[in-house]
Amino acid sequence: MARDYDHLFKLLIIGDSGVGKSSLLLRFADNTFSGSYITTIGVDFKIRTVTIDGQRIKLQIWDTAGQERFRTITSTYYRGTHGVIVVYDVTNGESFANVKRWLHEIEQNCDVVNRILVGNKNDCPDRKVVLTEDAKRFADTMGIQLFETSAKDNINVEEMFINVTRLVLRAKLEMKERQNVTQNDVVNLRKSNKQGKKRCC
Amino acid sequence: MGSRIRENVKHFFECFCEVVPPTADKEAWIIQQYPDTYNDEEVLKSVPKFAYPYKFENTIIQHYSFVLTDIESKWTFGFCRHDPKSETALVVLTYLPWHQAFYKFLDNIAVLTQSPRSEDLGEFLRDVHNRKLPDPGKMFEVTFNKGESMFAVERPKQFQLPSIPENRNLTEYYNAVDANNMMLIFASMLYERRIIFTSKKLTRLSASVQSANDIIYPMLWQHIFIPVLPMALIDYLLAPMPFLIGVPDEVLKKVHRHEIGDVVILDADANTVETPFDDLNSLPQEVINSLKKQLKNRSALLGDGVSRAFLRALVQLIGGYREALHFQPGEKVTFDRDKFIDSRPVTLQPFLKQMLHLQIFQQFIEERLEMLNTGLGFSDEFEIEACRYSEKTSSKLKQQYREWTSTMRKEGTAFFKSVKEKANPAMKSAVKTVKDGGKGVKSAYKGLRSKLRENQSPQQLQNGLDSPNDKPRSAPNSPTGKRRSLGFSVPTTTYRKDSLNFKSSTSERAYSPLTPISQPLSPDTSDRSRSGTPGLDIPRIDLMTEMQDLLQLRLDTPPVDRSLKPVRSLENFKHTSPLSSPDHWAFPSRSGAPITVPTTKLFLPNQKSQDTQNLLQSPDDIFSSPPVPPRASSVENEFFGTASFVVGGGRSENGDPVFLVANRHTVDVVKLSPPTISPRRKKDNVVEDLIRLDSTSDTDDFDPLKSSNGKSSYLKNSLDFSADNHIPLCLSNPLYNYHEPRSIQQNGSTTLSKENRNDQDLLQEYGLDFNHFNANFNFDTFQPANNTAKVSSQSQWTTFE
Repeated sequence: MARDYDHLFKLLIIGDSGVGKSSLLLRFADNTFSGSYITTIGVDFKIRTVTIDGQRIKLQIWDTAGQERFRTITSTYYRGTHGVIVVYDVTNGESFANVKRWLHEIEQNCDVVNRILVGNKNDCPDRKVVLTEDAKRFADTMGIQLFETSAKDNINVEEMFINVTRLVLRAKLEMKERQNVTQNDVVNLRKSNKQGKKRCC
Repeated sequence: MGSRIRENVKHFFECFCEVVPPTADKEAWIIQQYPDTYNDEEVLKSVPKFAYPYKFENTIIQHYSFVLTDIESKWTFGFCRHDPKSETALVVLTYLPWHQAFYKFLDNIAVLTQSPRSEDLGEFLRDVHNRKLPDPGKMFEVTFNKGESMFAVERPKQFQLPSIPENRNLTEYYNAVDANNMMLIFASMLYERRIIFTSKKLTRLSASVQSANDIIYPMLWQHIFIPVLPMALIDYLLAPMPFLIGVPDEVLKKVHRHEIGDVVILDADANTVETPFDDLNSLPQEVINSLKKQLKNRSALLGDGVSRAFLRALVQLIGGYREALHFQPGEKVTFDRDKFIDSRPVTLQPFLKQMLHLQIFQQFIEERLEMLNTGLGFSDEFEIEACRYSEKTSSKLKQQYREWTSTMRKEGTAFFKSVKEKANPAMKSAVKTVKDGGKGVKSAYKGLRSKLRENQSPQQLQNGLDSPNDKPRSAPNSPTGKRRSLGFSVPTTTYRKDSLNFKSSTSERAYSPLTPISQPLSPDTSDRSRSGTPGLDIPRIDLMTEMQDLLQLRLDTPPVDRSLKPVRSLENFKHTSPLSSPDHWAFPSRSGAPITVPTTKLFLPNQKSQDTQNLLQSPDDIFSSPPVPPRASSVENEFFGTASFVVGGGRSENGDPVFLVANRHTVDVVKLSPPTISPRRKKDNVVEDLIRLDSTSDTDDFDPLKSSNGKSSYLKNSLDFSADNHIPLCLSNPLYNYHEPRSIQQNGSTTLSKENRNDQDLLQEYGLDFNHFNANFNFDTFQPANNTAKVSSQSQWTTFE
């Protein structure tokens, strides 16, 4: 079947309501897909196709309502996804605290999830309360990248999404390669070809 | 917190809409709504989609529900009625998950749309919208048709397990899906899978999805929850996160299975489950076995048997959370995950480790901790069942909790202050009750209680949980309850007056049939899949609705009349419309239509018709069990013997002594004062003594365990914590669908205050109904004779089966 993409990635965007997840998605998404259902069925997604290294990648980015009610977001939530965009509001310390807890949970319980940390609303230095250094230090300890964005002024948004896509793509290609290698080994050694399906959490 | 049901709901419904079906070139749209002040654009935009989730033809009356989720993940319920005789669908939006009540409401609306007086519907909707919600277990009553008829539904009690056949959703689910598949779905939910239900019938579809969620109580589905998915939203099946979605058969046909990935699919028509997982077998064997055993015994599944079987399975699995609670004086109660795993039997441990990673379990723990830390203690069906399961554990636990709270009390003004501030109003009022107690009644209870103790086994008293008396609260539609409620309904004259008043006000302003509510929406891109729907296979048999339809036809509208009546159709709108534009349709005026039946027949007369109407309009009622004869005697009652004796007393405000005299069948209040005071004054005094407690509050004595149930303050001697399990005052227990915090009662005289309710529960437990007692105070104390309000308590016994 002819497809208009080489890879389909499903990403999640998580963060308190009010940190600007929807705005980020709107900035990023194809304009052709309009209408939002987050306020009627509590879930929404946006689609965009990008090309990286000659590969056409279709991105679905999913958002759900009321995540702030969770102290931790458990691993089942991330089960079917390729990557997570974790968003806080640089003008809201509490949103950062939530995000830290959630990232710790992912770290502990999900084997492979590509993550990226995003400080949104980075357009008014006076109101900024989550300092770049603090966020950077935290991102480093978690081994993930930090992007400070402004959906309002369209700063760093494109870069951030492209980056997370690269991350997921690289992870996928690496895993494929590893599988190929193992499979070759298996063939060479004439052992039973029993490989468990590796999936994130 | 994890609750997805809204609290502090003000209105019975938020909005009523009448929706016109889609045509070839137009999407479904709202032709009129009430109140027109409701203006949530996003919701109004999606209502037509859910009212006509796909293009279907209607051959029978169908009821179903859909759910909208807002940005905070709170649910709004949409109840929907399709009638082959009508070209439009009726939809009610509400925050209340009272399925039975709203289907009845819709039936009522449907009858009113046929009313010869076109303003009837508007007036009825306005009256219902304005009527304050009653306390749980009480009737919500609104008269209509100039006071000739009455709409009455019971507000569901708290902490009721859904039972068969009263709960329509569970009955439908149970009839469609066998025990093994119910268990499969249960297991899939405990693994938080992506789950699809499908059926050709919207009724069955939405009922099954709702029931599947009810069955994991005390947990609550935290993920995507869409009981009916419209064709327009078909792409949402691609969501990678856990979901529970009801997909109409027609919609599912359009889905490319390979795109969805790993999903569990229950076909509720074929009673089959398709799953790529082995979730049921990975549940601990002992849990499956006992669940199977309970579900095999079909005769025991009537009532709340099915719900309770699953509840017990969950108690077996997670009831042990209580042993992992960490009580550190001066600190909040916390949950120790490792201790939780270690304290459980080895066979359960692997699964429980997995459960720790469930959002539904996480929210459950958070919510229980919240309950404990705000001093609300242990009390609901789950905890009761957990106590049954492990009596030893629970008493040890309660001991710990008691010590913890007492330390907290000693230490801590600051902590409890914050707790008290955080606690909801009902909590505060509970404190009030504990503090002050009822002046007169208090001693009466003491007397009753001590008498009872002599005759009850100490075990039973110690552990009120084991008492079979829990039962009546689980029988929502029990005929006794209904009769009692009707027994002291407020005289209809009051309502008549109301409706007259309403009539004089302008109904047109509030209800604006001429306003075009929504322009037909231009089809957006996501709706492309709607076109080209092939011929539909319309469900032909829907016993519930069919029977209802049949009965309604037979009794509401005589056959002769039916043949003469014009079919409700859009044509009516067109004819009466003053404007020619198809967007400006008027509400049909029936004044010119031939009326062959006097209205009194169309709307059965008020009181007398009540039972008949209930019977006719709600299929649930048809199935309700026959009236249970009042229990003539039981061990608990024997102590009364035949002699009368004083069980308590008190003083009214002006110093008149009041005695409570009880014998086996009656409880009398005897006033010894000479009848010089005006009866009205007297009445107020007595009532005040009975229920209004003054409000000084003293933090030092505050004991959250006791305040979780006002009753326990009367029972200081017995000091049993299990008594608290009887009925919680107001738990922030969002996990239970029917949970509704009771509103604070300001006026203690006509309606029952919270304190009184608990008192009443105690009395009901022992077969006395003060509810009725109060009603008698209100209406009967005018007898000057010997100031005795006599209540035949026998007719008011709460019967236990």
